[in-house]
Amino acid sequence: MEVWIGTSTSWLAAAGEHGGKEHHGPGFWGLVFYIGLVLAILFGLMSFAKTGLKSRVFTKPTLFGLPVLGAFEQIYLFIEQLCVGTIGAHGRKYVVMIMVFWMLVFFSNLVALFFPTAPTADLSFNLGLALVSIGYVQWEGIKANGLFGHFRHFAGPKLGGMLILISLIIFVIEIISELMKNVSLSLRLYGNIDGGHRAADAMNELGKNIIPLGGDTGLSIPIGAFLMPIKLLTCVVQAMIFCLLTCVYLSLVTHHEDEHHEEGHGQPVPAGAH
Amino acid sequence: MTGNVLGLGIGIAALGVGIGLGLIGYGAMGGMARQPEAIGKLQVNMLIALAFVELVFLLTVFIVPGSLR
Amino acid sequence: MPIGVALIVGAALMFAGMYVSTAKLIDLSALAEQGIPLDLGKTIATVGVLLILFPVIKFFFVAPLMEAIQTRNTELEKTFSEAEELRTEMASMKSDYERRLADTEAKAREQIQAQIREAQELRKSLMAEATSRADEMVKRAQDEIEAERQKALGGIRLQVANLSLMAAEKILKESVDTERNRKIVEEFIDTVEVPAS
Repeated sequence: MEVWIGTSTSWLAAAGEHGGKEHHGPGFWGLVFYIGLVLAILFGLMSFAKTGLKSRVFTKPTLFGLPVLGAFEQIYLFIEQLCVGTIGAHGRKYVVMIMVFWMLVFFSNLVALFFPTAPTADLSFNLGLALVSIGYVQWEGIKANGLFGHFRHFAGPKLGGMLILISLIIFVIEIISELMKNVSLSLRLYGNIDGGHRAADAMNELGKNIIPLGGDTGLSIPIGAFLMPIKLLTCVVQAMIFCLLTCVYLSLVTHHEDEHHEEGHGQPVPAGAH
Repeated sequence: MTGNVLGLGIGIAALGVGIGLGLIGYGAMGGMARQPEAIGKLQVNMLIALAFVELVFLLTVFIVPGSLR
Repeated sequence: MPIGVALIVGAALMFAGMYVSTAKLIDLSALAEQGIPLDLGKTIATVGVLLILFPVIKFFFVAPLMEAIQTRNTELEKTFSEAEELRTEMASMKSDYERRLADTEAKAREQIQAQIREAQELRKSLMAEATSRADEMVKRAQDEIEAERQKALGGIRLQVANLSLMAAEKILKESVDTERNRKIVEEFIDTVEVPAS
């Protein structure tokens, strides 16, 4: 029992994964390969969809009977609605960024459905994604409030006298919370996608143990494949949550600029989102 | 022995998180049934809440094994 | 952020990440043992890739897509507004037409009324004329009757006088001064005469 704690990451040992099997995600060149795969799929679809951009109704380039450009348009409309609903009327200018985030995360997740690993199943990639997201949020905050205004925003409400100490503490806590946003974003994505992999692995192992089809050849019924629908759901939901949280952070940061003349617009920002 | 304790701990975490997720779903479903016109907003907020609760379980999974060593 | 800067910084970060990861400069094996397999070199490289990727995807696809959707929306709005204009025009034409129809109808009704009134007046005047003529005729007839009666009365009176004279002559059997007698008889007759009619 000491074995799996000491050497491996296998917190699913009880579910059938045998000790010693290491899960470190893809190596550097593996990550390069998978990012290249995702980008190839993404850019292939995008350049395919671009051929129908001139048509009046976006039904033209179809893949297996599905309108590709129409799907992209639906994604765009969905992201726009997300941005405007969460950030407010000025959220429209962040649509491009959020949409790129959505497409990257979603296609990575899709790759995770069919391949042994994927960019988003790698914590390092997710941390990079989260860093870019939070960095973009800070950049937009600085652009909206100015450098000084943005950092004063961390210190909470204005307090006088000795209460300045409390402001200082709030400032430190807010900085830590900003850093934790990275961790939360990346860990959530990694845990969901990689956890899905491990769940499928464990179920396959279960199938191998219950019905050994091929004996030594290792053939078995892939019970884990039955997790496909819920993994697909996870793909969509995780991509959406990543974008939604980026939107929420953006709205938190850019909220002050139009608090006065846009009161009550958009939906209330969830408190303590970090 | 430690492994069993760990498994138990993670099981308890999953139990709590499952209850939490169920409560969120319960509340959201009730709200949607009462006000079908607010479904969009409720869904978004529900997903945010689900993400936060889920994160608690993920943090448990990632942090507990190390701290018990 | 200027795109050129993003591209250069992104490329630099990519190579830096590659170096950090392949040379294993940052050792996080403690974290990996805990179940958090983190390789900061890959993270750095990812940040670089994303810095390059965002402007590229934006200019390659998202901006044209947004533009196409925008164009289509404005076109649709234009079409809708044109249709709306046409509709209002048609509605105004319809109301105009209805108004004119109602006008014509009212005019026709008025004309009919006028005709009827005229006919009634004509009838009234004709009837009045006929009545007056009939009245006149009746009056003339009455006048004639009166005159005839007067004439007859005069004749009768003469006859009576003559008869009386003749009777008196026969009674007296003598010639008397005819003038004088007649005078007496006429006086007598005047005294007994019943007023005519």
